[in-house]
Amino acid sequence: MKVPVRWLKELVPTNLTAREIGHRLTMAGLEAEAITEIGANWDNIFVGLVERVERHPNADRLVLATVNLGEQRLTVVTGAPNVAAGQKVPFALSGARLFDGHSAEAKLITLKPNTIRGVRSEGMICSEKELGLSDEHEGILVLDEAAPVGLPLRDYLGNEVIELEITPNLAHDFSMVGIAREIAALTGSTARSPRLADLTDSRAGGSLVTVEAPDLCPRYAGVVMENIRVEPSPAWMQRRLSAAGVRPINNIVDVTNYVMLELGQPMHAFDREFLNEGRIVVRRAEPEEKIETLDHTVRDLTPEMLVIADADRAVAIAGVMGGIGSEITNETTKILLESASFNMFSVRRTSRALRLRTESSARFERGIDPNLPLIAARRAVALIQEMLPEVRVTAVADIYPVPVRPRELSMPFAEIERLLGISYPETVVLDILQRLEFSPEILESEGIKTISVQVPTYRADVTNKADLVEEVARITGYETLPERLPERAPIPAEIDPMRRLERVVQDTLVAAGLSEIITYPMLNEQDLIDLNAAGNGLPSRYGYHARPEVPLVTAVNPLRSEWEMMRPTMLPALLKNVAENVKFNPSVGVFETGRVYLPVSPEELPNERRTLGIGLAGQRQLVDLYHEARVVDYFDIKGIIDALVRRIGVIEPAFRAITHPSLHPGRAAEVTVKGQPVGILGELHPSVIAHFGIASERVGIAEIDLLALLEAGIEPWRFQSVSRFQPIEQDFAIVVDEHVPAADVAAAIRAGAGVLGSDVRLFDIYRGQALGPGKKSLAYRVTLAAPDRALAEHEIERIRGRIAAQVERRVGGTLRG
Amino acid sequence: MHLTAQFERRQEELRASELTQRLEAESVDITLPGRTPVVGTLHPVTQMIREVTDIFGRLGFQVVEGPEVEEAYYAFDALNIPKDHPARDVWDTIFIKAAKNREVVLRPHTSPVQIRTMEQMQPPIRVVVPGRCYRYEALDATHEWHFHQIEGLAVDENITMADLKGTLGEFARQIFGKERKVRFRVDYFPFVEPGVDFAIDCMFCQGKGCRTCKGTGWIEILGAGMVHPNVLTNVGIDPEKYTGFAFGMGVERLVMLKYGIPDIRAFYQGDLRFLSQFSRPALSEAALRG
Repeated sequence: MKVPVRWLKELVPTNLTAREIGHRLTMAGLEAEAITEIGANWDNIFVGLVERVERHPNADRLVLATVNLGEQRLTVVTGAPNVAAGQKVPFALSGARLFDGHSAEAKLITLKPNTIRGVRSEGMICSEKELGLSDEHEGILVLDEAAPVGLPLRDYLGNEVIELEITPNLAHDFSMVGIAREIAALTGSTARSPRLADLTDSRAGGSLVTVEAPDLCPRYAGVVMENIRVEPSPAWMQRRLSAAGVRPINNIVDVTNYVMLELGQPMHAFDREFLNEGRIVVRRAEPEEKIETLDHTVRDLTPEMLVIADADRAVAIAGVMGGIGSEITNETTKILLESASFNMFSVRRTSRALRLRTESSARFERGIDPNLPLIAARRAVALIQEMLPEVRVTAVADIYPVPVRPRELSMPFAEIERLLGISYPETVVLDILQRLEFSPEILESEGIKTISVQVPTYRADVTNKADLVEEVARITGYETLPERLPERAPIPAEIDPMRRLERVVQDTLVAAGLSEIITYPMLNEQDLIDLNAAGNGLPSRYGYHARPEVPLVTAVNPLRSEWEMMRPTMLPALLKNVAENVKFNPSVGVFETGRVYLPVSPEELPNERRTLGIGLAGQRQLVDLYHEARVVDYFDIKGIIDALVRRIGVIEPAFRAITHPSLHPGRAAEVTVKGQPVGILGELHPSVIAHFGIASERVGIAEIDLLALLEAGIEPWRFQSVSRFQPIEQDFAIVVDEHVPAADVAAAIRAGAGVLGSDVRLFDIYRGQALGPGKKSLAYRVTLAAPDRALAEHEIERIRGRIAAQVERRVGGTLRG
Repeated sequence: MHLTAQFERRQEELRASELTQRLEAESVDITLPGRTPVVGTLHPVTQMIREVTDIFGRLGFQVVEGPEVEEAYYAFDALNIPKDHPARDVWDTIFIKAAKNREVVLRPHTSPVQIRTMEQMQPPIRVVVPGRCYRYEALDATHEWHFHQIEGLAVDENITMADLKGTLGEFARQIFGKERKVRFRVDYFPFVEPGVDFAIDCMFCQGKGCRTCKGTGWIEILGAGMVHPNVLTNVGIDPEKYTGFAFGMGVERLVMLKYGIPDIRAFYQGDLRFLSQFSRPALSEAALRG
């Protein structure tokens, strides 16, 4: 809301500057977002009186105007069509900075004395555009007759405007009077009340207004006025409206807008000639009913919407906007002024349904004091009669069946300290509440002090003790609150195991050279289709999880078509990230620990599973002094997952070959812990690499369900005492059939070595004619150690024998050499 | 005997000279690059969440989390933001398709976890809630539709606004330096009363007024207040017996302020050239400053 300071100071006496007012209001909950100054650059511009206008001796279209500035008289050459003797005008002396009237952009120029067609011109009579007030440049700005000659224009027309953010709770501050009340309460001064007309003698309206929907319209005041003459409103009113950001239209519409800005009551004026039977019916819209609103749009109404109608059709959407056909025109002579109170929820629903937000609806949906409409009507009548003394009020209706009275509220005085942690003297509290017009009283009974107040009806936001305490704190200022720490701490709870796991996972991967990314967890169906290497629609699995049978978690109002649903897998966002990063980095390794959102049913919230996604692309090893460059492959991602899972305490993760719609058929695996699957990993299928446009020969990915990992059971472990005897390393070359998985061979060796085997490491694979076709030789280095002795030669022989036996029995292998 | 001794001495000399030769031959250009282990980077948002939750952890706050796809009841109604109230407009919300009788949203703030926590725990309660939030909001340099918040909640007997001010002051000084001044001003959030906007004096101009603080000398860090009695009633906690405070902050904003990042969109574009700049832990600076 824009608050012109000059206007505000008329409503509340204060010596504070605009900046100080802005600061005080900001601290009290009304944030001053900006302060702008109208006339900041008006040096050397004064109020002048045009005394004489003569023809220019050498030009037909120009005139010579003699302007009295009080202490001097100057002559200027002007081409303004509307200049006339007797006018008060803004007059700029040379040196003044004015906006260029002929330039489309706001360009400031400095005025210099000038000779135009042989006559010297010693200044300029300014248009609104030259002063920066508007784009109007047709003629000069004519000031009020009362403007004092010789006064600097800034002192007369200059204004500062504070732009306030009005939070939704502050309905009562959405007006000049509301802000004036705040300033009065904050500074201890008194706000002035605007002059109101007396309507008590006016003829009752009889059947003028019928309210058929009292639930949505607690009050409706209608005032009929005759002998209206529609014309522009006076300059002072137009200026105030403009400063407050409302475009002046005509005297009647301007009065309704002025009252809305001043008191916060939205009003509407109807041309009564165009109301059928000249009367108002407040009712719900009929099914299929339509109305063309003032913005020339035909609106479809529904029976949930409240309308203002005449005897047979809707003429306005209550609290939102008036209709075409009964609006004020230059021919209007009889008007019906509406000043009403509508249900705030209803106005909001209607305004949202029609996507039509107005100054009026913005105020109604915050709630309007039901005691305000008649005051506003009286104010509007006073303003209209000030402008047009011949206007008569011929009828007044005020339908207000259930008057609202001030709310009584009381609380123990100690409540202030209970909430704030500080108490204030009774006199201070009473004074603040008095300034807020709360009529406070302190009562004491059995040693307990109670404070009770009557909350004014315009303060619908104050309904409970906490609200009342806030009022006290707000006016004294939050800066008076001390800083303290809570007295007692709760018993420290355990750290959530999932958070602990997530931290370990993140730290381990960072140490392994990967960088964490955070991606948008929404995607669209195409992203999922792109995960299918076969290219025949949605894949059977979304990353780790199977494709669910129920629809995915889908947005009703997605921000963009690419963000339609919550991801069921981390992969698409990860792959898009990799595709971008690999353009700029030769080696990309990224991970994200986020959630995937698995739908359960339309009746339940989705299952949000904490999930790890990893993506590797480009080269895993860059060329340097010590290494050849090496492109990423399956064993990079496997190594990371293996290290990660062991790091969190799983002794022996198992990897099983799988087929997966997104992965390379020969390089895809599932990782299991104690037989429970916890994730997938592998190289991306070349088709999927192409779908996502990743410029990398191979892409390694993994998706691990962290909850499954946690639930698979990270077993408690105990330390094992370390042996002081030196371990012995023994090499084994084992020949097996080509199809035997290396993991099975290693398992056989471990079984053979038993408790004495501490490490089993594959270091070579050999294939050759010597072995025969379909055979391979795997070379292992096995570390053997006993806790209590150095192993003797015969013991080592016995272990070799056992390993040979296990290898033979489990994988059909033989020991070479 | 004599010969043996001589032989041994000669042998010793040879060994020594051999070693000297070897050491000479093995000398390298020690300015050649080392074999550097590659270390990655934690996302700056993760780093800030850790820093903030660690600070509150030391103040006795426990970390809890909640769902991102949330019932409107938890996201709004239970937080004293009734349907059709203009306060609901403050949160431009992304809605989720659900059965007819239900309203499900992407949580626009972490505040619903206040409700879930109070439903499950009895006072004394002291929790912080980090997490992702979503708004129906066009992207620009200062607005993201997807962002992170950290919510805080303390409920007990004798929790006052002075406790809130002290707790937040402690937090701000640990994150932004112990010389920081703090400011409380009145603000409105439907789920607190009285409501607070919490600011610190601008660390870029020391409160004199600059572009970052828009000339005000103050930088708004978070919203806070005393838990609204209606909210306590909604979760079955007696507002006559208990009071509480709550606060919520945007994580990205904290990171942006701390490192002078002008554009919030950088966080989720995922460019490694941006992210790798955060490889020094956020903590080191504050730790060094003491």
